[in-house]
Amino acid sequence: MQSNNSRDRENHSSSSSGNHSHSVTMSMREKEKYIETFNFPFCDLTSKYEKVFKIGQGTFGEVFKARDKSNPKKFVAMKKVLMDNEKEGFPITALREIRILQLLKHENVVNLIEICRTQASQHNRYRSTFYLVFDFCEHDLAGLLSNVLVKFSLGEIKKVVQQLLNGLYYIHSNKILHRDMKAANVLITKNGVLKLADFGLARAFSTNKSGMPNRQVIALPLNCRCFYSVVSRFTNRVVTLWYRPPELLLGERNYGPPVDLWGAGCIMAEMWTRSPIMQGNSEQQQLTLISQLCGSITPQVWPGVENLELYKKMELPQRQKRKVKERLTPYLKDPYACDLLDKLLVLDPLKRADADTALNHDFFWTDPMPCDLGKMLANHTQSMFEFLAPSRRAATQMRHQSMPRPTTSAVQDSGYQDRVF
Amino acid sequence: MPGWYYDKKELRSTPSSQDGIDYKTEMRYRKEGARLIIDTGSKMDLGYNTMATGVVYYHRFYMFHSFKQFPRYVTACCCLFLAGKVEETPKKCKDIIKTARSLLTDQKFATFGEDPKEEVMTLERILLQTIKFDLQVEHPYQYLLKYAKCLKGDKVKLQKMVQMAWTFVNDSLCTTLALQWEPEIIAVALMYLAGKLSKFEVVDWIGRTSKHIRWWDMFVEDVTMELLEDICHQVLDLYSQTDANNTPDSPPLQSQKATNQPPPVSTQRSSNGNEKVVSPDQPPPVNVKVPPPSSDVPPFPYQTFTGAPPPVASYATPFAAPMGAPPVVAAPPHLTGPPPGPPPHITAPPPTVFSQYVNHPPPFTAVVPPGAPPFFSANAPPPNQPHRPYYPPPT
Repeated sequence: MQSNNSRDRENHSSSSSGNHSHSVTMSMREKEKYIETFNFPFCDLTSKYEKVFKIGQGTFGEVFKARDKSNPKKFVAMKKVLMDNEKEGFPITALREIRILQLLKHENVVNLIEICRTQASQHNRYRSTFYLVFDFCEHDLAGLLSNVLVKFSLGEIKKVVQQLLNGLYYIHSNKILHRDMKAANVLITKNGVLKLADFGLARAFSTNKSGMPNRQVIALPLNCRCFYSVVSRFTNRVVTLWYRPPELLLGERNYGPPVDLWGAGCIMAEMWTRSPIMQGNSEQQQLTLISQLCGSITPQVWPGVENLELYKKMELPQRQKRKVKERLTPYLKDPYACDLLDKLLVLDPLKRADADTALNHDFFWTDPMPCDLGKMLANHTQSMFEFLAPSRRAATQMRHQSMPRPTTSAVQDSGYQDRVF
Repeated sequence: MPGWYYDKKELRSTPSSQDGIDYKTEMRYRKEGARLIIDTGSKMDLGYNTMATGVVYYHRFYMFHSFKQFPRYVTACCCLFLAGKVEETPKKCKDIIKTARSLLTDQKFATFGEDPKEEVMTLERILLQTIKFDLQVEHPYQYLLKYAKCLKGDKVKLQKMVQMAWTFVNDSLCTTLALQWEPEIIAVALMYLAGKLSKFEVVDWIGRTSKHIRWWDMFVEDVTMELLEDICHQVLDLYSQTDANNTPDSPPLQSQKATNQPPPVSTQRSSNGNEKVVSPDQPPPVNVKVPPPSSDVPPFPYQTFTGAPPPVASYATPFAAPMGAPPVVAAPPHLTGPPPGPPPHITAPPPTVFSQYVNHPPPFTAVVPPGAPPFFSANAPPPNQPHRPYYPPPT
């Protein structure tokens, strides 16, 4: 490191040093030259990778598959940090994602390898573009589920859901909320390892802002009411509409890990239905769909719901019976699966199962036991990403159907800004 | 991959020193930049963690770049700007610049150039690359509170001691201690110092076992008395330095006069020997035992405070003057909760946080592919066929 550094200094010393007393600050030219030639020891150039093709659109930038030039068998995913319209420099959302990814190191969380930069030059006004570089995962769950040739056995479904909950258990233990659970954000490697991805909307939910990263796994009282007293007021405009829990739709701002568990329930059901179970096209309709599945939203089943900001403003269907098991049984023959879903798709966030409880459910501990996905996936040599699916369809014929699924609501509520608290 | 800790020899061969800036001047530049971060941050009601994070970025930045290449006050603003975002207490760049400007002379502010905001924005990318995107920084404060909760004794005295230690931690930001030692060790050392000065002797603590000789043995290992005293000296030496106003200003500031300006003279020799702060040939890493003078070294060898250590109250003034009022002095921390800290006080979020979303498509209207009713149409039977689109079969 030191040697790199001193070499760099030699490079620019001709222009900048010279007479000590003479050199005030660098001139613009000198500074540009300095930026162009300084070899940042901790931030490699993107040119060490070679782009293969675009595989997705994250919450703050495009994602590419790329090859490591020094090891052609190694593939990575590169996510561009969009900074074009940033009046306040490097986006706070990107900083959050980086910080959170640096903290989270777990088998079931996508691994951030490094952050790369493009060469600063005249062409980019001496401002580098940054990319987050991740281990490459071959598939995402939405892509897999949309391919009928991909068939999951019950044991394989259990493995997927178990890994999903394991990932959530880990991130919640580290006091991080994902806030954007959906099938497209669940990656699966060709060996069948599940990775939670896209922490672009994730947040720490502890008020302990003393900078203490909670590196050790601490069991949290996730299901006790006092838990909520420590949560700051967040924006409720998170989570893609179809996976958004009722508390967010009703304007709750003091929410916590249960928001991710609702999404996990939706994703779990999707393992059988193969498509999102509640495809509302407005917040109102989403609430209607939820009521039709989970029963009417009332203070009887959910004490305190009447105090939520939008409880009186939204039209909530009355006298709806809870039909979770009834409507899902045709898809899910397994009674344990139905029962677990019944505990995840619970209206009252305080009564919703947390990741730990869900992982202890009989579903995972009865035959057929969770089993490895690697073998099944070995039959599929092509990457399956949701992002790639519509364009393929468009290429065939059903152009009118190629509309993408909705993304996170911050997208829809144009002009809305995430409140920092 | 290096960590962010350096020995004293490395701290003397920085880019600035290789650029012809002598050690004392560099230390002064570091102090002045750190102070601007603290003063600007305090004025904007930023929390102590935000300011401390900004200062640590600042010190790390100058391990890779010279003060001649990057004028210190611009860098200071940039570090505070980034730290604000990282610590979830964001402030607008223009507001930080405005506040800093109110604290600087016009001459010093001239280093921000014609477009100060542009200057800070360009620098932010350089800063991020330099610090390896290592955004999360820990500070001694949290350890101070953690340790204090374990100490037994007179509550009032303990609180006074913690408050004094807190002030020392604030002041330690003006040194390069954060580049030398982990926050745990700095916290122990400065609590040790505060204990000595406030005459609070820790004789018992929660969790004590027979193998613990000192209370900190519970928390840190292999910390020698030499190390603790070296850390204390580095902080105490701040108070014995001569007024910075009497020293010639740095080259980066003297854009007009600079041509005739000789290199800064070292006028900061202090009564208790500034040189002692750094002994380049003898860096004491935690694990290496330096020849032990421990037995014959008096327990409290600070010449600066001859006679009885001054009462806490008298500390507030000398420290507050150069440092700006430390947040804790105004409202002392108590041991049950964190000190007046950073309640999340944000006036307005940056306006463009989600701007990139604005043009995204409207909500998806569910499409029902032929032959597969959506899951939720009334009384839907289980579809024979999933209604997601098919991939073309692999060829």
